[in-house]
Amino acid sequence: MIFGRRRSRNPLVLALARHALLVAILVVILYPLLWMVGASFRPSNEAFGTLSVLPGNLTTENYVEGWSFGNLNFSRFFLNSVVITLLAVVGNVVACSMAAYAFARLTFPFKKTMFALMLGTMLLPYHVTLVPQYVLFNELAWINTILPLVVPKFLATDAFFIFLMVQFIRTLPHELDDAARMDGCGHIGIFRRIVLPLSIPALGTTALFTFISTWNDFLGPLLYLVRPETWTVAQGLNGFLDATGESAYGPLFAMATLSLAPIVGFFLVAQRLLIEGIATSGLK
Amino acid sequence: MTAGTATPVAPPVPAPVAARTSRRTHEAIAAYGFLSPWIAGMLLLTVGPMVYSLYLSFTRYNLMTPAQWVGFDNYVRMFTADPRYLASVSVTLRYVAISVPLLLVVSLLVAMLLNKGMTFLAGYRAAFYLPSLIASSVAIAVLWRQVFGQDGIVNEVLALVGIEGGSWIGNPRTALSTLVVLHVWSFGSTMIIFLAGLRQVPKEYYEAAAVDGAGAVRRFVHITLPMLTPLIFFNLLLSTVNAFQAFTPAYVISGGEGGPLDSTLFYTLYLYQRGFANLEMGYASAMAWMLVVVLALFTAGLFASARFWVHYGDER
Amino acid sequence: MFTRSLAACALALGLLATGCAGGTSIGANPNEGATGTGEVAGNLRMSWWGSGPRNEVTNAVIDLFKAAHPGTTVEGESADFQAYFERLNVQASSGNMPCVTQMQGRQLNDYTTKNVLLDLQPMIDSGAIDVSDVPAEVLDTGRGLDGKLYMIPYGAAYDAMTVNRTLAEKAGVGLPPEGYDWDAFADWVTRAQPGLPEGVPAVNLGGSLPNNFISYAAGRGESLFADRQLGFSEDLLVEFWDMWERLRAAGVTTTAEATAEEPNQTEQRYVAQGRVLVDNLPGNALTPAQKTLDGTQPGQQLVTLPQPKGPAGPGNVLFTSGFSIPTNCDNIPTAAAFVDFWMNDDAGAKAFLSANGAVTNSRHLQQQLDDPNLPALKRAELDLYQRIVAQNPVSVVYPPGYHASFEGAFVRAYESVVFGGTSTRDAARAFITEVNAALATT
Repeated sequence: MIFGRRRSRNPLVLALARHALLVAILVVILYPLLWMVGASFRPSNEAFGTLSVLPGNLTTENYVEGWSFGNLNFSRFFLNSVVITLLAVVGNVVACSMAAYAFARLTFPFKKTMFALMLGTMLLPYHVTLVPQYVLFNELAWINTILPLVVPKFLATDAFFIFLMVQFIRTLPHELDDAARMDGCGHIGIFRRIVLPLSIPALGTTALFTFISTWNDFLGPLLYLVRPETWTVAQGLNGFLDATGESAYGPLFAMATLSLAPIVGFFLVAQRLLIEGIATSGLK
Repeated sequence: MTAGTATPVAPPVPAPVAARTSRRTHEAIAAYGFLSPWIAGMLLLTVGPMVYSLYLSFTRYNLMTPAQWVGFDNYVRMFTADPRYLASVSVTLRYVAISVPLLLVVSLLVAMLLNKGMTFLAGYRAAFYLPSLIASSVAIAVLWRQVFGQDGIVNEVLALVGIEGGSWIGNPRTALSTLVVLHVWSFGSTMIIFLAGLRQVPKEYYEAAAVDGAGAVRRFVHITLPMLTPLIFFNLLLSTVNAFQAFTPAYVISGGEGGPLDSTLFYTLYLYQRGFANLEMGYASAMAWMLVVVLALFTAGLFASARFWVHYGDER
Repeated sequence: MFTRSLAACALALGLLATGCAGGTSIGANPNEGATGTGEVAGNLRMSWWGSGPRNEVTNAVIDLFKAAHPGTTVEGESADFQAYFERLNVQASSGNMPCVTQMQGRQLNDYTTKNVLLDLQPMIDSGAIDVSDVPAEVLDTGRGLDGKLYMIPYGAAYDAMTVNRTLAEKAGVGLPPEGYDWDAFADWVTRAQPGLPEGVPAVNLGGSLPNNFISYAAGRGESLFADRQLGFSEDLLVEFWDMWERLRAAGVTTTAEATAEEPNQTEQRYVAQGRVLVDNLPGNALTPAQKTLDGTQPGQQLVTLPQPKGPAGPGNVLFTSGFSIPTNCDNIPTAAAFVDFWMNDDAGAKAFLSANGAVTNSRHLQQQLDDPNLPALKRAELDLYQRIVAQNPVSVVYPPGYHASFEGAFVRAYESVVFGGTSTRDAARAFITEVNAALATT
């Protein structure tokens, strides 16, 4: 039937088949996550030893226990993470799109050199710059503040995103700039009124990726935010584990599940930007 | 949105030479204005530590006492007196060669699948994106053992068809493959970039092709692929760089050791061990700069090849 | 802000020119010979490794200290074991170590040989830190290669054979005899195997566990290290691995693959899940291990035994954790007061309740054992510690680079035997060569 020539053109059947396929794929690739969610509702000491995603003795104890962490609770970590993450998103979107516009659309002296330099900064593994950067931030007395995690974003140090946006902006037809220039727009005008709106998919992507990488970042906060009241969610999660003492897997799974919520939420918002992106480029 | 709705339009006159020069100067000034945050970040935060690490690569430096200049010693030692270095190179090359193409193909396929209008599209996209969100979490070590461990779900399924599987993570012959799967599993980011690119392909192109009677395959080869080349280029470059620098998966899954038997000893994992556990930051820096050289050659080669296969909208 | 970063950038480049990072360097130690006396006031940074439960009790002690010394504030910094040392190394590179830094004997000399820690003897001599209730042989585990005291050990961990008593009884073998040695151990697991449930091996394959070998060497009277080199013979290591290979061939161990994928956290260890009869675990892992077993195999009981002894004596060594004060500390009197408080305050010790190895202060140990409300598993842990200390365990001084070079190389060397088919002799030779070379250049 499926391989036959008289393939069913019934849209309903096709749609159902497609949904069935997608759900089947999802069940396979989401198994580890589903298991984690299941385990987060099992008593902590029954977390292991079963492959089933369904909790046996259903309990919400892990969420209660995980949420109150030491003398603090996870709401503090969530708040800290949200502040840092949102600032990082704004910084990256603004600073990287500006730099990307210059690289993609303008001609200026040393452009090639600077572009190569920009790419070059992506190639060095960050582990070897950790120490000199720490020395630098320590001298600035920025340890124990969010500045080392946020200020670099406003200075476009994540070359990845500049490059991403350069690639996007370069796909936009030049005629649009020319038309705007005819209309008397300067570079700032072209940037604000042509490039930014048409690059909304790229901006959304940048915002999304920045959100996720900042939200999940462990090493940066580990080095710069040492006091528990300044911890982020990633540090809080790590705080459930220790090879030399007791680990709390139930609460870890519970809080790891909860920590996905903001990113999924942000994803749903950001992906609307992607759809909006079609509407605008459809104008062309 | 339409451009310049209210601005009065100056009639286009052929620009005299002086005006053209001034326009060029003007453009350069504007460019540097747009670049100023990046330049400041570069000068204040990036270049210093980079140059410093380059300097350290010619020294012995244990993080706590002053660095001692040793010339090219670290670079020589890497290739002549460190079998684990060569092992890490081999592991990394295999990882890159297998995981990058797989990742690109899978993310493009899923992006195509999730591009067309259908019910619950946003929900599906979010669901397919979920693995990427958790792939670098501390919980992934546990989750991956639930899948590929001795008593994991893979062996459970294999047992149904009568195959007895061992530990995939604990066996040096298969451990790297489980990390490749982990990498491909977290295809979300590359998928999103493709998806955003697919959104930008003007519908008119497809409509015109449909009028010409082009089938799905031809539409894909002649419209989708060419229009996506800037993003394929981007994803190829980025996933290769990322795969060469892969750290977190091996660090989390193997507890930082790169085992069993160095089968998951990624380049940067070994670099990290030398720098932060053995306190040989000079050697680690030399390893880092060796990687920079390799990646720079690869990047330059890719850029050189780009004009044969990458099509930008700004080409006139 | 801009001018400051500019200044800092100039500074970073200046560092580059002079080849000097941070404020620490040999011979420039303004705190040399500090006696720890002076006004106890101001802010103190203190760091430790651990997870939720240990953080809670540590904070409780910090609160008691602040109450006892009005005018002081304490900033606690914690992280899990691995991340802790990662951060500490970065902090050390910048001369920014916390004034009270938790250390472990196995890593101590990574720092002492780089002159970033203070000799604490002057502070003991001046009376700022009282260690009179700590047994001398335990205190000695805080000494560096040069014999100076760089760490005050407050908690002592030890290895223990953790046996699933329920499974052992079902198998009809009971526990290994009192004073058993490795031969008796091998015999015991071999007899137990036929009576164990399907899929439960008798013992976790232990040839890749450095601590098993440390114990083996201790019982044979060979010293692990001689200054900055390995001190034991190649034959001893071959013998040790041959023993494990015989057990593996006899089919009484887990597979090499299963052992290779086993995580470090107690809750995920096979013995904690009732999936092997016996394994070597840290003695203080008994509580979390039993808690896990209660969930996965309800009704089964774990019990801890000393490590097998050898012809030369007991097979146990002590792994201590303690506090050091770095040379970059700018509030030494308060740091010394904090360490003294931690070591001697009764209420503090009661609050902490040996949460990182058995308390080394003998008086506190007795107080905890005398407390009728002491949880049974904690009591078992402390009892065994007392028995082990009574046997005068050897004290191991670990050379710098031990943790980084020895432990990883040991695992790899044994894996080359089980996975790569290398002979135990070749693996031992390669291991000794590799580690000696690494230790010599550290």
